Amino acid sequence: MIPEGMRDVLPPESGELRAIETALCGRFAAYGYGEVRTPWLEYAETLEAVEDDTLEAGYRLRDQQGRELMARTDMTVPVARLAAARFHDRPLPLRFFYVAPSIRPWAPQRSQDGEFVQAGAELLGLRSAAADAECVMLLCDCIASLGLRDYRVALGTVAFYTALVDSLGLRDDREKFLEALADRDYPLLETIAGNAGVDDDALKVLWRTLELSGTRDGLSQVRKMASSAAMDDAVRHLVEVRDLVEDAGFEDAVTLDFGLYQDLTYYSGVIFEAYAPGVGLPIASGGRYDGLLERFEWAIPGVGFAIALDRLHEALEEAGVAPSAAPACIAFAGGLDEPARTMELRRGGWAVAALPDDAPAPPRPRLQRSGGTYILELADGSEVSGSWRDILRGLGIA
Amino acid sequence: MKLGLACDGGSPPPRLVDLLEQAGLPASAVRAVAGPALVDADGVTWLLAPGADVLEACVRGALDAGVAGKDLLLELAPPVHELLDLRVSEDALVFATPQPGAGAVRRGRPRVATRYPLVTRRHFALTGRQVELVAFDATPVAPGLGLADGVVELRSRLVLSDAISAGRPAGLLVREEIAACSARLVVGRAARALGGERLTGLVERLRAARATPT
Repeated sequence: MIPEGMRDVLPPESGELRAIETALCGRFAAYGYGEVRTPWLEYAETLEAVEDDTLEAGYRLRDQQGRELMARTDMTVPVARLAAARFHDRPLPLRFFYVAPSIRPWAPQRSQDGEFVQAGAELLGLRSAAADAECVMLLCDCIASLGLRDYRVALGTVAFYTALVDSLGLRDDREKFLEALADRDYPLLETIAGNAGVDDDALKVLWRTLELSGTRDGLSQVRKMASSAAMDDAVRHLVEVRDLVEDAGFEDAVTLDFGLYQDLTYYSGVIFEAYAPGVGLPIASGGRYDGLLERFEWAIPGVGFAIALDRLHEALEEAGVAPSAAPACIAFAGGLDEPARTMELRRGGWAVAALPDDAPAPPRPRLQRSGGTYILELADGSEVSGSWRDILRGLGIA
Repeated sequence: MKLGLACDGGSPPPRLVDLLEQAGLPASAVRAVAGPALVDADGVTWLLAPGADVLEACVRGALDAGVAGKDLLLELAPPVHELLDLRVSEDALVFATPQPGAGAVRRGRPRVATRYPLVTRRHFALTGRQVELVAFDATPVAPGLGLADGVVELRSRLVLSDAISAGRPAGLLVREEIAACSARLVVGRAARALGGERLTGLVERLRAARATPT
């Protein structure tokens, strides 16, 4: 028995996940990001530096001095804590990545496991469209390098919302409007805006922008609607980020999405989510969080993202490009008693599981001894039998 | 394109099928089909299933879009985008009790029978009242059975059937309207991000069809 929402990972899935992790680590390193590992327990007050509703239900315990500890619910906050504590005298920018599990209350209706592994990157100390673009292109690179083609990264911005709501001239209804926006309840937005007497034309374009993820056509409509300098700036910023990502060779990967809304409260600028066919929820999400490090007394900007490893794996399976686990292992009955020969196979590049002589027939590929002859049965159905030398030749070693 | 239509046991509401046809979708294929069913017609795969199933399929990316009632959206709060009020199957979630003097038991903490435990709990908590929830599907009979002092249910469902007639009013008096409900067009987050122009067209045609009387 294990707690609800938790799971064990078995071979060959564990091998596939490891292969994905290794590939992702390679991509992060190729952009100059260094790996950090942080403890899975933090002081509760560290994680509570951000206001997040899910924290209330988080797993808590106490240390021997009675201080309240908490299982981390994501990695962005611990990395911010670490950067402010350990790197505040270093030149900027800083680039960190991690592959680590976090723990949140189990939410089956949101397809959220209790424990989930994320691979993520954080770029600290730069406030520019180019920095935003680096994170988005790194995310595209991570996904594309694993062979997934039909993915999309939706790119939006918190700044657009703030400016949009300001431009509508809502007063008492402002809070309600933001709440409906967070619930993605567009009919309710329509009602609120209607009651507040928002101009019909403005409304029409508003629905278009919210309903749709960004098509090129949608972008020109949003531009028309951008009635304030703040909205203009927000749109221009997004276009700049998208163009930079396309310049890096990730064409058609990014769509502008003005209906994108993130539940996490620490995001302050661009936000983005990656989607792939067959997986209903984002396989990755991220954004700019310029106020976060300030809460750890180092006021530098930051942007980053996290890939949900399980969902990425699911997307790769859907697309039929999941990496294979380690190559099949030869089960060598009697191999435990013949260490020299077993090692000969391993040095020749084969994985070998040594078994006792009387082991029941294992699945193929398998190697057995019968009298003076060895019999090798490979996974593809072919067989080699004969002397040890014949076996070595059959495996391409001698 | 894969589209889901919520229908509980029976076939989809005729007015909804009309609206979908007006929007250019091959919906006549499912006019007389009772769920659960998967029906292929002119490039569209229709899923006919209970509303909660349609929402689950949207959340998990198995549908491009779905139509489900606002009552379920309120109760389940699934992570989907609610794009359009289709203005069909208009109804309301209400709190109803037996007529005064109908012999109802009065309890210090009233019992409320409902299929919507979250909506009910939230409604009474927000209005500062304490009630005991009774999870019960056949809500209209619950007060007559002495099981509950009131119900939270869709207004159109406050009816009973007996040997002579189906659809006899259950004799319940609506005390409060909790939320207006109707059929809504919803899309999952991935379908929205990956759908692009196809969804754009669908939403616009449905919006236009909605405005045209039949």
